[in-house]
Amino acid sequence: MEEQTKGLGNAELWGGIAWLAFGLFIAWEGWAQGLGELREPGSGFAVFWCGVIMIGLSASIIAGAVAHGGPPLASLWAETRWPKVLLVMALLLVFGFFFEQIGFIPCSLILLFVLMRFIDPVPWWQAVVVSFGAVLGVWLLLSKLLKIQLPAGVLAPWLG
Amino acid sequence: MDVLSSLAHGFSVALQPFNLLACFAGVFVGTLIGVLPGIGPVTAMALLLPITLSAPPEAGIIMMAGIYYGSMYGGSTTSILVNIPGEAASVVTCLDGHEMAKQGRAGPALGIAALGSFFAGTVAIVALMLVAPTLANWALKFGPAEYFSLMVLGLTLLSFLTHGSMAKALLMATVGLVLGLVGTDAITAEERLTFGRLELLDGLSIVPVVMGLFGVAEILSNLERKVSREVVKARIGSLWPSREDWNASKGPMARGTLLGFFVGTLPGGGAVISSFASYALEKRLSKHPERFGKGAIEGVAGPEAANNAAAGGAFIPLLTLGIPPNVILALLLGAFIIHGLQPGPLLMVQSPDVFWGIVASMYIGNIMLLVLNMPLIGMWVQVLKVPYPLLFPLILMFCIVGVFSSSAAVFDVFVMVLFGALGYVMRKFGYEPAPLVLAFVLGPLLENNLRKALILSQGDFMTFIERPISGACLLFAVLMLVVPLLPTLARRREAIALDQE
Repeated sequence: MEEQTKGLGNAELWGGIAWLAFGLFIAWEGWAQGLGELREPGSGFAVFWCGVIMIGLSASIIAGAVAHGGPPLASLWAETRWPKVLLVMALLLVFGFFFEQIGFIPCSLILLFVLMRFIDPVPWWQAVVVSFGAVLGVWLLLSKLLKIQLPAGVLAPWLG
Repeated sequence: MDVLSSLAHGFSVALQPFNLLACFAGVFVGTLIGVLPGIGPVTAMALLLPITLSAPPEAGIIMMAGIYYGSMYGGSTTSILVNIPGEAASVVTCLDGHEMAKQGRAGPALGIAALGSFFAGTVAIVALMLVAPTLANWALKFGPAEYFSLMVLGLTLLSFLTHGSMAKALLMATVGLVLGLVGTDAITAEERLTFGRLELLDGLSIVPVVMGLFGVAEILSNLERKVSREVVKARIGSLWPSREDWNASKGPMARGTLLGFFVGTLPGGGAVISSFASYALEKRLSKHPERFGKGAIEGVAGPEAANNAAAGGAFIPLLTLGIPPNVILALLLGAFIIHGLQPGPLLMVQSPDVFWGIVASMYIGNIMLLVLNMPLIGMWVQVLKVPYPLLFPLILMFCIVGVFSSSAAVFDVFVMVLFGALGYVMRKFGYEPAPLVLAFVLGPLLENNLRKALILSQGDFMTFIERPISGACLLFAVLMLVVPLLPTLARRREAIALDQE
């Protein structure tokens, strides 16, 4: 039987509270946008009612969590490799920030090599060969064959 | 034009060299992603959507459709040889397919899966061809109230059939509706939920949302635990099933096809549910139910036929009503819209090239899939041996490239990362992304029809109840909402509730 708690560490409770806050925000946005009249609903009409429904549903989730409990928050990440998940997320964000300035080829090469060597390490030569092969292959296919523009970045003088 | 001459016209479209190439690319990629665990048809379709933009609409849609039904074929290979389903519809094939492989009967298991899929896929296309025109004629009588209620029913049914808490599934559907409303209001041209960002004026794009929720989130979840994959080492042998295998599989294949097609046409239904339903049906009908789970070929033939028939049946509500019954077809609806087409009752009149071209291409695609899955099985086995630590960085890169090339905006890459993180956390807390994505696609349509119906009825909500089709849809939706409150029926729901992706 899965561990359950009714205390403040209850994951169901926190999930419900997060969605309740989001629902309140959406309902407020819809209200501010203007509901219009029933014979001519305004831009905020559907947004507002979606927010109200979200509030109702999240309240029912919170009530269920309080009454029946739920898994402890910490148990959701127990015995998992969550630092690797965080690392991948951070790498993707860094990639996004530098993608246009540095360019597709250098950015993707670094991303692939780092992911292959530092998450679940593969031999370095495999990482190098696969990274170069995949990045150059994708670049040739998209930029040259399908004429889809990818940022050239620092390699612009050579790639044209 | 009668059905046969329309179909002949469809073949003249589908057999054009570029469309043939698109069909082959679709079914090949579909099989590949079906074979590879960790990337599903939704991610693959979102990934390839930008590439189809430069192609004519019929070629783009033919390719996207090929990915969908191709993935149904490919998923069985991984289930049988590795005991890990390539995609959700093949989960049940693991039970007997992998047992057969361990007993040295991988060949007949793969063979019957491919042949069953071919048979069911072909029957489903014939049925689609015959049913679609009639249903489309009927759908011409639909007004905004009927469309609104039908979409509400579809979302409720999907939430009902989604694994876990129904409140959570409905909440996800509502979040999806809100996300679908971001951008400029189509009626008043006012900005909504854009927070002053120019990138959001046209709304959130479907590609980064889907890629984040399914592609990135799936990878993040897989990275949490080290998963080992061991391909069955025994020789695969002849793929052609023996006479005994055929005799045992004929009935399950036929029943699976009928069941799958019917379930596939229902809003919220799909390949996953039909494959489980077929397995349960065969086990119940069998004189030796104890053989199931220990390598019974009926446990492979029925579900594989069912999931392929469901894939064909699912095109009916999309092509005739413009309402996708599941999240994969919701993405296909997105592809139609991006290509400037509106699926619905008028599609076959206004764009016969597209409608009949897709139908004809499905016949051709099924033959291509048989060739890809029978003689080339050795190649797919080699693909299975690519280790995940090499695979996931490549999938991530394809996701980024796919998202960027769809809009040429790095903003969408951040949207993908955001939804990737959201999808990962949602899975942790037991919130399924499928209702969110379906509602996201339907959101603008649903709101538009709601507002139109209210304007036409002078603000009278009774219009949704007094019109028979609309009233019936809403009644069913209410029943779905009430069922989880009744303990006996709630347990039955839990038994059939399945994750759609």
